[in-house]
Amino acid sequence: MKKEITVTVNGEAITHTVPLRLLLVDFIRDECGLTGTHVGCTYEGRCGACTVQVDGRALKSCMKLAVQADGKEVTTVEGLAREDRLHNLQKAFSRYHALQCGYCTGGILMNAVDFLNENINPSEDEVRRALVGNLCRCTGYSHIVEAILAASAMRHGLKPVPPPAETEPAP
Amino acid sequence: MYPAPIEAYFAPRSIDEALQCLAEAGDDATFIAGGMSLMQAMKARLVEPRVLIDLNEVEELRGLARGPRSLTVRPMTRYRELAATSALHGALQALGDAAATVGDRQVRNAGTIGGSLCWNYVASCMPSACLCLDATLVLASLAGGTRSVPIKTFLVGPLETARRDDELLIEIVFPASIRRGVGSAYRKYGGAVDGLPIVGIAAQVEVDEAGLCTHARFSVGGILPTARAFDGVGEILRGRPGTPAAFAEAAAAAADAIETQGDHLASAGYRRVLIRTLGRDVLAEAHARASNGAGR
Ligand SMILES: Cc1cc2nc3c(=O)[nH]c(=O)nc-3n(C[C@H](O)[C@H](O)[C@H](O)COP(=O)(O)OP(=O)(O)OC[C@H]3O[C@@H](n4cnc5c(N)ncnc54)[C@H](O)[C@@H]3O)c2cc1C
Ligand code: FES
Ligand code: FES
Repeated sequence: MKKEITVTVNGEAITHTVPLRLLLVDFIRDECGLTGTHVGCTYEGRCGACTVQVDGRALKSCMKLAVQADGKEVTTVEGLAREDRLHNLQKAFSRYHALQCGYCTGGILMNAVDFLNENINPSEDEVRRALVGNLCRCTGYSHIVEAILAASAMRHGLKPVPPPAETEPAP
Repeated sequence: MYPAPIEAYFAPRSIDEALQCLAEAGDDATFIAGGMSLMQAMKARLVEPRVLIDLNEVEELRGLARGPRSLTVRPMTRYRELAATSALHGALQALGDAAATVGDRQVRNAGTIGGSLCWNYVASCMPSACLCLDATLVLASLAGGTRSVPIKTFLVGPLETARRDDELLIEIVFPASIRRGVGSAYRKYGGAVDGLPIVGIAAQVEVDEAGLCTHARFSVGGILPTARAFDGVGEILRGRPGTPAAFAEAAAAAADAIETQGDHLASAGYRRVLIRTLGRDVLAEAHARASNGAGR
């Protein structure tokens, strides 16, 4: 009913004995204490808030068992930044106001990083299509799409579209 | 939502080992492929497997292999791989179209063609695409060696196939002669972009040098009890040029002939409208691909 597994999470090998039915998302949140991976729908595999990368591929971690990640590399949103330096995509999300409550953000980042590795110069349509598996209840997606396009442009050394103008708060 | 307790988990590395695991575990053992259907069913407690046999480490169940007159797709090939490969261009492009529009990219990174066929959910894309492309499924068991089952026999009903409990699907074989002038396409209509198909349609069209249709296959998914082919389309199109009127006539005949169900997603009448309109467009696309020398 239990099994010892070793999963490399954000570069660190973690060995735990886990129940066979433990979901990967619960292993990440409860056993590793990494709560940036969220649960937004619990079982339909719809919302994408639980998206992580397993061996570099974006997957919904509520749709995997922890034992299936034995011997694999898992990257969560906490593993994106290098020391104090945010990942380009994280910087773009911040600059383009691509989050409000932030519940969906970790999953979207992990999916979008995999997407940008696969598609080095995506069109707006391709970006929108890549986001089908991630629900965001706040932003209406527009700023998320702009941020992903901007991160892609930054990688090519192109000047990204400027972020929306800051409006001065009323005095 | 949590799966019921699982007593044992195996991750075999070969087909033989997988079959051995199954034979030893006996009843209540279940293969897990991409988990995109099974995990939902386990968490909803529709199934409560005592033993899980994970196929993800079986290298020999992955990838494509071209033969002189066929293309073999192994069952653990993921949607992402099917959507990206050039091996399907031309005669088998319907399979690539279908794989490219399943669910979302996280689902396509995990889900497999074999899992979809063995699950045979009503609202799914692989069964109808593989039916149109006339696939043959190769099943292996420890006791019985291997047997080949035509897709038409394999698909029995909702969540039901001709696979026996002791069998592993090891190959999906598509006829793929190197003839020119064969093209295929798949499209679906669902409640959301890339969503589960209310209706999904695959068509394969063959044209001769003069541009006349010599052969056509047409199948519909999203309908009960399971995906069905409609031979009448081939009869209507044979010997005719590929005109919008011919495709509309053929799709309308299919819509009239195929029995559809009404449910919370769509009425039976609406499904018939979808078969007519999507069917016409899919035939036109398959024909255009055939005429462009696809299938070479
Ligand atoms: C959010 C979401 C959206 C989706 N949208 C679509 C869609 O638009 N269109 C669509 O068609 N599907 C859709 N699906 C379902 C998806 O296609 C599944 O991947 C597929 O139905 C099952 O394939 P799997 O590899 O995940 O198999 P699993 O879920 O792992 O297995 C399914 C069944 O097949 C059996 N099995 C698997 N492989 C073998 C084998 N080689 N031999 C014998 N038995 C085997 C398993 O024991 C199990 O009973 C969606 C799923 C999700 C979560
Ligand atoms: S929690 Fe919603 S997809 Fe995993
Ligand atoms: S920012 Fe709130 S759900 Fe996306």
